[in-house]
Amino acid sequence: MENILLKDKVASLEGYFAAGGYRALKKALAMKPADVTAEVKASGLRGRGGAGFPAGLKWSFIPKDAQGPRYLVCNADEGEPGTFKDRELLLRNPHALIEGMVIAGWAIGAQTGYIYIRGEFAAEARLLERELFAARAKGFVGRNVLGSGFDFELFVHRGAGAYICGEETALLESLEGFKGQPRLKPPFPAVKGLFGAPTVINNVETLAAVPAIIDKGGAWYASMGTPKSAGTKLFCVSGPVNKPGVYELPLGVPFRELLEKHCGGMKEGKKLKAVLPGGSSTPVLTAAEAMAVALDYEALAAAGSMLGSGAVIIIDESQCMVKLLQVLARFYHHESCGQCTPCREGCGWIEKLLNRLEAGKGSGRDIDTLYSAADAMLGRTICPLADAMAMPAMSFVKKFRGEFEAHAAGKCCGPDGGAR
Amino acid sequence: MPRITIDGRPIEVEKGVTLLEAAQRLGVHIPRYCYHPKLSVSGNCRMCLVEIEKAPKLVTACSTEAADGMAVLTMSEKVKTARRDVLEFLLINHPLDCPVCDQAGECGLQDYYMEHSLAKSRFPAEDKVRRQKRRVLGPHLVLDNERCILCTRCVRFCSEVTRTSELEVMERADHSFIDLKEGRALDNGYSLNIADICPVGAWTSRDFRFKQRVWFLKKTPTVCLGCATGCLTEVHHNENTIYRVVPRPNAETNTWLCDAGRMTYKAVQAGDRLAKGVIKNGLIDLEPALRETASRIDEAHGALAVLGSPWLSVEDNAALARLAKDALKTADFSFDFSAEQGVKDGILINKDPAPNAAGARRVQAAFGGTSFAELSAKVASGAVKVLVTEARAAALLKDALKAGGARLIVFAANRSEIPAGAYATLPYASYFETPGTFINFQGLERRTQPAVTAAEGVKPLWAMVNKLAVYSGTSLRLESAQDALKGIDLK
Repeated sequence: MENILLKDKVASLEGYFAAGGYRALKKALAMKPADVTAEVKASGLRGRGGAGFPAGLKWSFIPKDAQGPRYLVCNADEGEPGTFKDRELLLRNPHALIEGMVIAGWAIGAQTGYIYIRGEFAAEARLLERELFAARAKGFVGRNVLGSGFDFELFVHRGAGAYICGEETALLESLEGFKGQPRLKPPFPAVKGLFGAPTVINNVETLAAVPAIIDKGGAWYASMGTPKSAGTKLFCVSGPVNKPGVYELPLGVPFRELLEKHCGGMKEGKKLKAVLPGGSSTPVLTAAEAMAVALDYEALAAAGSMLGSGAVIIIDESQCMVKLLQVLARFYHHESCGQCTPCREGCGWIEKLLNRLEAGKGSGRDIDTLYSAADAMLGRTICPLADAMAMPAMSFVKKFRGEFEAHAAGKCCGPDGGAR
Repeated sequence: MPRITIDGRPIEVEKGVTLLEAAQRLGVHIPRYCYHPKLSVSGNCRMCLVEIEKAPKLVTACSTEAADGMAVLTMSEKVKTARRDVLEFLLINHPLDCPVCDQAGECGLQDYYMEHSLAKSRFPAEDKVRRQKRRVLGPHLVLDNERCILCTRCVRFCSEVTRTSELEVMERADHSFIDLKEGRALDNGYSLNIADICPVGAWTSRDFRFKQRVWFLKKTPTVCLGCATGCLTEVHHNENTIYRVVPRPNAETNTWLCDAGRMTYKAVQAGDRLAKGVIKNGLIDLEPALRETASRIDEAHGALAVLGSPWLSVEDNAALARLAKDALKTADFSFDFSAEQGVKDGILINKDPAPNAAGARRVQAAFGGTSFAELSAKVASGAVKVLVTEARAAALLKDALKAGGARLIVFAANRSEIPAGAYATLPYASYFETPGTFINFQGLERRTQPAVTAAEGVKPLWAMVNKLAVYSGTSLRLESAQDALKGIDLK
């Protein structure tokens, strides 16, 4: 199968154009906006940022009779630990995103778009600016796009380093110049988003898939992947495998195939213990569960986890699950925005419990407390950051309780992080 | 209009009404910290989580609008567990210093813990987050960030009510804390409301703290006389001492109370409070002071004038009117005060600093009398030898008094009120000590209720007028405040 997103020789405007780039934009501008949305709906494209919400449906939520400006925002605040696909996509195929955004802008009636890019991606932001400049010079972006009369201006905005700004409404707050904290929903951004105007927010990978969908048709895109998880997905594999990296594969690819065929299997001497299939905030799968699962929205949900951002984190037998969860807890404790009580207090509590357990000073009761504290956070907050802490915490304890109990009994890990 | 059920009881509400408000109408109290009816909904405390049948997750009652057919459960097991969990989270980093906390007894954490949790702590004290304590912020408040539950009511109050935006939540996660923005002070004229709306002991009043445990306080509903707005208040007192004044929220006039209004009680128990008479600059006992004053009044027969006061109640103004008209038989009296009225800061503080100009005018309407300008001219001309009035009202005639040289006899509650050059001053009971009727700038009748009793011998002003009438040999007798009110239409 040919890659749709990660292609060679398309990093520059010339290369992208030579490979048929911006053909879809011309086609889209000749279509009615509603038809563009219908095509994306037909493609079955789902949000690639983590939640998997159907993209076309999201676009259609913009109220038809809304007066005043509308905005399109690209979420390029790739912060989920283990995720490095959007960055790769931006570096290798920036114009797919730019073209996808102009098309999406046309579909939803937005004349302004923002690419909210993770603060640490300084080089990527510069690259985007450069390519935007080139696209603007060719009339693909800006006033009167390709002579169609449609104006679409696109801006790159760098974040300031907070993980929470990857949550779409926190991103909007940050973009407006406020402290990045998620908003209460409803109202949803489609009704009241950036600067109070109807707004669509999509992930980089979602928007970058749009040109191909318009060019070759929704039905073509839907023919890939599974019936409910259409198209291709970028999987970023990290951990002790022979070839870690970003792979574009049709959704529904078996994990076993990803690991053994594409990543060249585990490194020598390493044995698979567990997998975080969709980034650090998704429930962990044991080796046996992972080897039996297909990588798509439904199959992973059925296995008790999530596709998330497609960040496949491989954990081998030498890793200590308590230590790993401690690292995650430190991250979520640091990144909780502090708004909702369960998340603000719970993340810190869980980290402290893990600090104690990891140092061999914990007790069996601490394990139960850890589990129940995580349970008390689940589904009780404005945004899913609390869930992102709770889900791995609960699954780690549930599936690897033995390691936690060993720690509670004082059998700590050595400096190499290996389980004893 | 959406029809919903709450714990099985049906209710129909207007579109846009939240589940919390709907429950309130049925008398169901859903616990909350961050929600305040006069502030924007922030939804952060998660205490008001309720269950909606068939919904996958619990929702916050404060932010969820009622939709037709919703079956809301406020006491299901899921909801009870959620409340217990939220309380546990709130308490893990709380210092649990109730024995030395001023909020104890009226604390949201204490109340809801007793009602919804009673769980034992699973969190070791040494792991608690430490934050700054006892930080004096502004002239009225102290902030203890360790007690703070970060509900952001104070932040929203400053940005939405006073629009001064001094406060902000700094940092993130469990190390976040409330702080002043750089270069700002917390002195917006309404800052003590923050101590009221703070559901825990994070914000406490510098004036009130450590003076009295709240469970000893008795509460008397009354009215603020700090300006013509006439806010409804509640005076908290114990053993004849007032400790604080808080607002009594109402739809007509006020939810809040300004800092100046809260401090009006200070004068009642101030060191310069008058319990005796003052002749020239010398304090003398009340009886001789009354007799001396009465003889001056008697002497000035035919050249005597009386000016009412917008700081006095309708009853006391009426007593002065009757003194002039019925006892001294003079036509030179005026209750005609017409200061410009209206809320001047968009919140509560009135352009007119006197509480009862409207009430005084009713007295004028009932008894007749001259206009303020005419009286002023007469005083200035020297035709008036003795003027009887209230201390602050005397200031309105300052220039005329200087020009005409009339002897000034005033009623004053505090020595600091006595105008320079007053010949005689008589004390009277303040409206924290005696009932009185006032009419605020909206034309609403407001009654004060006594919270404490005045010092021995200090009588309401109408009673002092009665004594003056007796001692100056007139036939006027006032047995009660109601006597003075005869013939006055308050409507």
